[in-house]
Amino acid sequence: MQVEVRNVFKSFAGNGRRVDVLQDVSLTVGQGEFVCLLGPSGCGKSTIVHLIAGLDRPDAGQVLIGGRPIAGPNPDRTVVFQDAALFPWLTVLGNVEFGLRMSKEDPERRRSRAMEYIRLVHLSKFVHAYPHELSGGMRQRVALARALVLQPSVLLLDEPFAALDAQTRAVLQNELLEIWELARPTILFVTHNVREATGLADRVYVFSARPGRVRDVQSIAAPRPRHAEDPALMACQRKILDILGEEVEQVFREELGETVHFPEARHPASPDETRGMHI
Amino acid sequence: MSPVARSIVRKLAALAVLAALWEATARLFPAWPGPFVVGRVLMENLGDAAFRQALGGSLRRMIIGYLFVVAIGVSAGMLLGRFRLLDELMGSVAVAIHAIPGAAWVPLSVLWFGLTEQAVVFTILLGATGVVMVSTDSGIKDVPPQIVRAARTLGASGTAFFWHVVIPAATPKILDGLRLAWAFGWRALMAGELIISVSGLGELLNVAARGQQVDQLLAIMLLIAGIGMAVDGFVFKRLDRLVRVRWGLAS
Repeated sequence: MQVEVRNVFKSFAGNGRRVDVLQDVSLTVGQGEFVCLLGPSGCGKSTIVHLIAGLDRPDAGQVLIGGRPIAGPNPDRTVVFQDAALFPWLTVLGNVEFGLRMSKEDPERRRSRAMEYIRLVHLSKFVHAYPHELSGGMRQRVALARALVLQPSVLLLDEPFAALDAQTRAVLQNELLEIWELARPTILFVTHNVREATGLADRVYVFSARPGRVRDVQSIAAPRPRHAEDPALMACQRKILDILGEEVEQVFREELGETVHFPEARHPASPDETRGMHI
Repeated sequence: MSPVARSIVRKLAALAVLAALWEATARLFPAWPGPFVVGRVLMENLGDAAFRQALGGSLRRMIIGYLFVVAIGVSAGMLLGRFRLLDELMGSVAVAIHAIPGAAWVPLSVLWFGLTEQAVVFTILLGATGVVMVSTDSGIKDVPPQIVRAARTLGASGTAFFWHVVIPAATPKILDGLRLAWAFGWRALMAGELIISVSGLGELLNVAARGQQVDQLLAIMLLIAGIGMAVDGFVFKRLDRLVRVRWGLAS
């Protein structure tokens, strides 16, 4: 299903003043495409996820799924949240079954389908474990299985691996790609990690800081599995970091006041300097 | 020694120290009975059929009253949490009921039910329902927003959302309320029985006081404290720990 965000504006009232979060944002995620939203914290990336998930409405503009405006949340668009947001009172199986229970799937089919997706994320040994007994990476696996078991046509991931260590993140990124290639859902993946975005996506939307605006779109044609040392990828990462460098400076200026002075050259010169590539 | 065994040993040691201090004061003031005397009186009491009947009466009233408290408190709290309008209209009533100590309900209970068993149960009901209503209501309102979002995106809505998400998410708070309600109810029971003469521990306290039997008075009070603590320790503390660990509220 194609996702289209058209000229969307969104602001929130907080502390007695209005904060513009999204300003005239337009983006498209084609059927079966893997798109990353990349931007500094506070650029409204999560807000876009909430809008597409139907958890929130835009102040102006449109959010369309398969050409139709969104009426509200729908299990055809599922979300993996940064903190997993598992139901702590349910076991792994209970969590994965949850969506099927809501759609009144018959108990036997529900169980067998849940087990299938638990196997897919390699958690068969932890079917009856509770979330508090699992590591951060395992919780995200459960969250992924819980979202995938509904066989959504659109999968939204809101910084799903941001809180994980580098090795776990790399493993889960690869597994996500494998799963995507199997079922080919339309994926919108939010991250603030440049390497993650360029390693995963067909296209990367680069966002500016508050208010969030699309600054740049990069298409990445490199075949998967991708290697960080691929020169084409590195050139792309450098371009994005240049754009984001300005953005991040701007965020600091706004937060610290106009008097702060930044040195002119902030171009990452070598891959070493861009290690991690967190903004 | 395992941590559990160590904790038990420590608690027993603390009890022994307390008993020793008590015994010491009893030796200094002869009119004041020590732990051995009171313990013996308590044992004699428990061997007495009339006493056991009074104890049974108190427990029966407490259990009946508490069942009403749970049923009415939780369902009223759910209604308040579920329907905003109802909460705006009635929410402060729940808080007001919660603010009135159980003992203050005794006169009204007597007025309505006379010096009867029902009056005692009614006292427990009013003394303990408020806290359950308030905690259920606030538990329902404090469901973490991320949990709400996750549930909505997975297709939960309406009644299923309420029963499968809101209520389990509110369980730790509801349990807090039930635990407090047990303590409040136990107090309200005693207040009720002291004034309303029905066969029970409260009445036995009155009888002991009139006869100036300090040892008997202390024996009954010891029993009251013991039952209150035992239920809290064996039922509520365990439930609370289980829920806190599972809900990720404790490490």
